[in-house]
Amino acid sequence: MSEQDNKPQAPQTPDETPGVQEDLLTGHVYDGIQEYDNPTPAWMTWIFIAFAVFTPIYLIFTLMSDGGLTPHGQLERASVANLEKKFGELGELQPDAATILKYSTDEQWVAFGENVFQTHCISCHGASAGGGSAPNLTDDAFINVKDIEDIVVVVRDGANNGAMPAWGNRLHPNEVVLVSSYVASLKGTDVANGKGPEGEVIPDWSAGDAPEPDATEQEQ
Amino acid sequence: MDTALAANPPEAAGSAGTAPQLESFSYDDAVVRKFLFAMVAWALVAFLVGIILAIQLPFPVIPGTDIPTNLGLEYLTFGRIRPLHTNAAIFAFAGNAIFAGIYYSTQRLCKTRMFSDTLSNLNFWGWQLIILLAAITLPMGVTQSKEYAELEWPIDILIAVVWLGFFGVNFFMTLMRRRERHMYVALWFYIATIVTVTVLHVFNNLVVPTGILKSYPIYAGVQDAFMQWWYGHNAVAFFLTTPFLGMMYYFLPKQAERPVFSYRLSIVHFWSLVFIYIWAGPHHLQYTALPDWAASLGMLFSLMLWMPSWGGMVNFLLTLRGAWHKVASDPILKFFVVATTFYGMATFEGPMLSIKSVNALSHYTDWTIAHVHSGALGWNGFLAFGMAYFLAPRLFQAKLFSRKLANLHFWLATFGILLYIIPIYVAGITQGLMWRAMTDTGVLAYQGPTGFIQTVEAIIPMYVLRILGGLAYMAGACIGAYNLYRTWAARPAKYDVPVYQAAPLSKHYDGDPQRPAPTISGVTNFALRLNVWSTGWWHRRWERLPMRFTAWVVIAVVVASLFEIIPTFVIRSNVPTIETVEPYTPLELAGRDIYIAEGCYNCHSQMIRPILAEVERYGEYSKPGEFVYDHPFQWGSRRIGPDLARVGQSNPQALWHVLHFDNPGEHVPGSIMPPYKWLLEQELDTESIPVRVRAIMALHPGDKHWDKFSFNDGKPYPTGDEAVEHAKTQAAKIHAELEEQNDNGPYVLTWKEKVDEDGEVVKDKNGKVVMVPDKVVEPGSKVIALIAYLQRLGTDLNRTPAADDESGEPAEATAESDNKTATTTLGSVGVKGGR
Repeated sequence: MSEQDNKPQAPQTPDETPGVQEDLLTGHVYDGIQEYDNPTPAWMTWIFIAFAVFTPIYLIFTLMSDGGLTPHGQLERASVANLEKKFGELGELQPDAATILKYSTDEQWVAFGENVFQTHCISCHGASAGGGSAPNLTDDAFINVKDIEDIVVVVRDGANNGAMPAWGNRLHPNEVVLVSSYVASLKGTDVANGKGPEGEVIPDWSAGDAPEPDATEQEQ
Repeated sequence: MDTALAANPPEAAGSAGTAPQLESFSYDDAVVRKFLFAMVAWALVAFLVGIILAIQLPFPVIPGTDIPTNLGLEYLTFGRIRPLHTNAAIFAFAGNAIFAGIYYSTQRLCKTRMFSDTLSNLNFWGWQLIILLAAITLPMGVTQSKEYAELEWPIDILIAVVWLGFFGVNFFMTLMRRRERHMYVALWFYIATIVTVTVLHVFNNLVVPTGILKSYPIYAGVQDAFMQWWYGHNAVAFFLTTPFLGMMYYFLPKQAERPVFSYRLSIVHFWSLVFIYIWAGPHHLQYTALPDWAASLGMLFSLMLWMPSWGGMVNFLLTLRGAWHKVASDPILKFFVVATTFYGMATFEGPMLSIKSVNALSHYTDWTIAHVHSGALGWNGFLAFGMAYFLAPRLFQAKLFSRKLANLHFWLATFGILLYIIPIYVAGITQGLMWRAMTDTGVLAYQGPTGFIQTVEAIIPMYVLRILGGLAYMAGACIGAYNLYRTWAARPAKYDVPVYQAAPLSKHYDGDPQRPAPTISGVTNFALRLNVWSTGWWHRRWERLPMRFTAWVVIAVVVASLFEIIPTFVIRSNVPTIETVEPYTPLELAGRDIYIAEGCYNCHSQMIRPILAEVERYGEYSKPGEFVYDHPFQWGSRRIGPDLARVGQSNPQALWHVLHFDNPGEHVPGSIMPPYKWLLEQELDTESIPVRVRAIMALHPGDKHWDKFSFNDGKPYPTGDEAVEHAKTQAAKIHAELEEQNDNGPYVLTWKEKVDEDGEVVKDKNGKVVMVPDKVVEPGSKVIALIAYLQRLGTDLNRTPAADDESGEPAEATAESDNKTATTTLGSVGVKGGR
């Protein structure tokens, strides 16, 4: 190896295999390594300059947009559009018994409620709502629910000392109502392999009735 | 090497006026040999750990059994050994490659032996000690949880000493004693490497120790994330890029025997690279709670960085002009060409990934993993092994054992890397698209836990292919190791140590180039000056002044850093305060430290980006103010599992977590998370709680929550023994919840036969052995602390602030306290929070 390392390059004629072009060398030699004095390729310089010019333009535009061009501005617009997509035809739902009951039989919106349920509830209540670490929702027994609108209260505000989270923090009010409607539709369907009943057996849902006068304090 | 040229430096002769006195010297190749051995050995270790990790993802249990792929050992679990893999690849494999390359080339480029053989050896053994300590502590769960900066503070100090004290001093003193007037471009890159890595390492690792194996970074949340990725990105830049560029500048023209294409391009791309790279760190934090201006700068400077990065690639590829026939037959040049190609691809892809809209898709997916492996295996790996084949015959003074095997290594590695990255690109893009897919009715196409599992199942086949790619690459490396070993085995009985002669540098030098005349005319004075300046004539002088050169590098790096660091720390509006965000309780803090030790961040992010699909999936996007007590931040960089930023809101149930940690695959069918049974069995270390609490308090002097802490009924934050008591009370409450949810019974880990007083096994009426609980989940177990942390995660945003600050009333008015059902009294004394 010792010979090849520092052997000065023999000049070669240009029409042979291109070797070292002596006239273009800088004259620098380091441990046998030489350097050409070629200029920086122009395309590289210009692409670099293009991005350098783009930088202040981009910054000024995004700063002047007052948030409109930032991710947050984009999210805001996308959220409004998506809400329209979701609930444009629905308007704002009221969390009352009539509304909950109505959407518990409406096929399209039960499917929507089921979607919400599948997204947020199955971790604890099971994929078929037959219970898991949390109660079975397909039997007739409920712990914190007497009337149909109690479902909304439990979903929205949580229950069991926070083990059931307050989904009002997380879901759109319509989603709370629709997932409650879906849950209402499950009552008494008794899926296979469900968890045993917890709480008290309650009567079938009724719309519009005032709460029973003797409604007792809810239990854990 | 002959002495003819070495003895005759072009400038040394004339300038001094008198005949120069020749000095004799030899090179220290023994230390280079050591680094080369270490490089190859650690490469195999890094690849092996990588393959184990790659197997664990698609196969959480050994197929056909129910034995977890981690063998049920916490020390072999993904979250703990993934950092081992990255550290082994970066610091052990690439690190030793850097030292081998720099020690070999610097001596020759400076025509002098390394300054001190003692320092060289301290560098070698110190570095191996660091690697060994990493290999011990990381599987133990001793980690700072900052990517590529996981090692705890005592090891960090050792790194600083070995890197700057041994390596740096040795290198710079060698520069001072050089017999070559000017520094070649390779040396510029080495200088940038040494000073910048020192700066990055020191400032990202400023911590408050709470013991020999645990510390908290002085930064929290947004600032910690910023510092980490300033470091992390530039670890890639100044540990995996600049030293390797320098090495390529030496080994490629040596092997190709062709002059480097352009000296001027070297100057331009070196300085632009050094100055611009530093800015690009925030592109790792696009769409996070990092302020948008910083993220935008990260993107813009990454785009600007494209051409400076490609300067190296262009210089290397054009150096091969007229030598391509050699590439066809020479395995070393083949390795170098593929390395250069991957360098070019990775440095194009990097700027592309930093573009916000691309990043929105790629971030948290395997796309990033593919990107880093094309860099690490393609650029660093191919260059390191090419260099090894270059060095082996010269260092071992024997012919390379087999050219054929070297070619086989090359083709296996090329095939392996492609079989690795292509499936992983597909996996990343597939999962990214599935995560964001939404139906016409405005809901996620793959929603909820089932939906997330679907996005995992879709990429499992790609994970399997990736294992094969990794195996092929490693097989190549094994063949390479064998080839190098056989070459070494054929070494002479005693190495020949050639002696060279060269004149020392004279004190005075007047050979600096003259200012050239402008090549243009008829333009403004400024244009003329620019024209002259851009020839780079002035740079020649810098190249013979190493200290001045180094000073300019430091200025470039530090100034660029401060432009981003100062506003990040100084502008208050970057992190708007959220009134309801309070420090973690002592138990939550202990639980958080378990989360860190287990390396949960390797698979779970804690950062919901302001992107519609993400907000739909995980909830309200994360706010900067939510992380002010997070030492260190846990935003993560990959979602092998779902985001956990608001898991306290979506999964607060204690039983769910215990079931899930006990057997994730059973509780969430299709989950690839390994079981964490040891968390259910091991006892929480409560003794260290007071010192942990004290450290966090010291990092937030004057914080109002130390006097008035909602989770202590508005009383001061508990410290000392009180902190331990508070933790135990909260643990008891969570444990009570757990038992209540678990059908009012203990969560049983193992059962045993019931035995009466006489030691007889008790049987029931039917003659069946009666079983009683043996081990159960105790209130003092680690899992309870971890659950306390998980229950808290992301919930502060929705807490209602204390109704009346002046009344001194405990802040009872939480959102949850409206809840009519919150009547339980199970051990909730002194701890509140609506749980």
